[in-house]
Amino acid sequence: MTCKVLVVDDEMPVRNLLNDLLKREGYKVTICSAGEEALEILKKDSFDIVLLDIKLPGISGLEVLKNIRDTDKNLPVIMITGFGYNEDLICKTKEFGCSGYIGKNMPVAQIITTFKQYAKDVKKGE
Amino acid sequence: MGLVIKETKEILHDLLDNAGVAVIYLDVNENIIFCNKKTEKLTGLKHEDILGANWLKILFHKNSSIIKQDMFKAVLDECMRHKREKDFEGVISGIDKNERLISWNFTPVVADNNQTRGAILIGHDITKIREAGNSAKIIDETLKNILSSLKDYALYVTNLEGNITYFGMGSEIMFGWDKKDIIFKHVNTLLDADNAGNNLNFILEQVRLYGRFEKETALITKTGNVIPVILTVNKFLDSSGKHSGYIFIAKDITERKKFEYQAFQSEKLAALGLLSAGMAHEINNPILVISGRSALLMEENFSQKIKDDLSLINSQADRIHKLVDRILKFSQKTKPAFGPVAVNEAIEFILPFAQYSNLPNVKVEIKKSFEKDIRPVKGDLHQLEEVFLNLVINAYQSMPEGGIIKITTSSFENIFALIQIKDTGIGIAEERLKDVFMPFFTMKKDGKGLGLSICHNIIKNHNGTIELESQVGKGSTFTIKLPFIPKEECT
Repeated sequence: MTCKVLVVDDEMPVRNLLNDLLKREGYKVTICSAGEEALEILKKDSFDIVLLDIKLPGISGLEVLKNIRDTDKNLPVIMITGFGYNEDLICKTKEFGCSGYIGKNMPVAQIITTFKQYAKDVKKGE
Repeated sequence: MGLVIKETKEILHDLLDNAGVAVIYLDVNENIIFCNKKTEKLTGLKHEDILGANWLKILFHKNSSIIKQDMFKAVLDECMRHKREKDFEGVISGIDKNERLISWNFTPVVADNNQTRGAILIGHDITKIREAGNSAKIIDETLKNILSSLKDYALYVTNLEGNITYFGMGSEIMFGWDKKDIIFKHVNTLLDADNAGNNLNFILEQVRLYGRFEKETALITKTGNVIPVILTVNKFLDSSGKHSGYIFIAKDITERKKFEYQAFQSEKLAALGLLSAGMAHEINNPILVISGRSALLMEENFSQKIKDDLSLINSQADRIHKLVDRILKFSQKTKPAFGPVAVNEAIEFILPFAQYSNLPNVKVEIKKSFEKDIRPVKGDLHQLEEVFLNLVINAYQSMPEGGIIKITTSSFENIFALIQIKDTGIGIAEERLKDVFMPFFTMKKDGKGLGLSICHNIIKNHNGTIELESQVGKGSTFTIKLPFIPKEECT
């Protein structure tokens, strides 16, 4: 069974890139551009993993995470951010119950490796 | 005629007996042959006891100190032998053995044949005057002590025209002016003309209208240094209550200003950190797309030339990523995290940044002599980078005509790393060397003087040392010693 990933990023070129990169790795990817939209999608469909940008227009990635955790304690949510490695931010996301943290400043190959590492418990696509 | 003589005698008698001073006539043997009533009063002795007695026995009681008597003797000797009139102040044993301070006049009595016949001693009791004077002096002295212990204050007074009439406590220290040189100069001499609020007419107008003026402003020393002060100006009223001038009280607030500046600097750094974070976010997104897309394209079936170019785009994008990341970390001012730091790499990292401080058209050559595979030191990478960056920027700035910066790393007996940054710049005079690591020491026109003090603190916190050797016209060498990290901590 294909592992379903929801990618939330407000920047179109970034979410399209993540879409292409993850699809290449065999994931089934759904993309969306805002937190509110992501929560709607999550209500209708089920996903194995969420890749969530922190800085979003409207409700922030952290609020989306909080909302998800209100109803689902186990859904793996990986935060991704252009702020790079930031200890304070990492602490905060952990506090909110995120499952992993990826900086957009990482080389692409490392982003994918890290994502796969976090998602290792999730059943991979073929 | 006889009547006239009699009258003159009476007048003289009245005059001497009612005179407010003691008058004593000594013969050549220094025995008293005449004294007036004031002398009796002063010594507490009767006329008949005084006459014929040696003057020293009369003026000094048995217990009086020999030294005092000898002084009087010496003065009288000079007066009689050298026929000189002498004025001096001396203490005698007065009535009830109480010491009295007398202002004396010893005048020799010289006969027609130029022989000394004796001496006239006129003594004015000034004990009370001096006591009053002393207490005034004590009060004055106390006031002076109180006011001079109020450090950082200067008090000066002007007349209505603004000319300085009193330059008191702390003023000489604050302004570097000698009292005698500044008195009667116009108070404008002390105002910093560049400071917009320093319009004397405005200040005095405020005092005339409201009785008082207080403002944070700047004053200027004799040598032209500007001192930030709180200046308070009040009306000066003379003893009859008439407005006769202005009292200026200036409080030096240099220290407070320094503190405020430091606070401002840290706020600015914090703002810069936020700005960098925002900037990094904005850069990271497009760079991710560039590197990601180039990575994906590399897997397509393109010619080797295109693949190589894509690989170049990809690696350059990664380079920007790393750079942004380091700038971000550098500006974040996170808590120091001590770990192994490779000094050669840290220096290499800051060199491109330091180059921006080089002036256009100035040729500066960087010579590196790094010990290969030098052991890592124990430290916080970003703090040490800040030190190296500051020192290399300093080197650039000290060579406005260009020159050579030589950076050397070496290990000393496997205990610490030795890092030397040497320039061929203007150098620093020997007498100023001791101050270079002090906060706010600067030799640059627009410098803040914080760089080297920050370096000093960072190195000190790393259990290291930083030293400067310098020669004017030849250049400066900063030598840093940093302990190597113990092998067991080197993970």
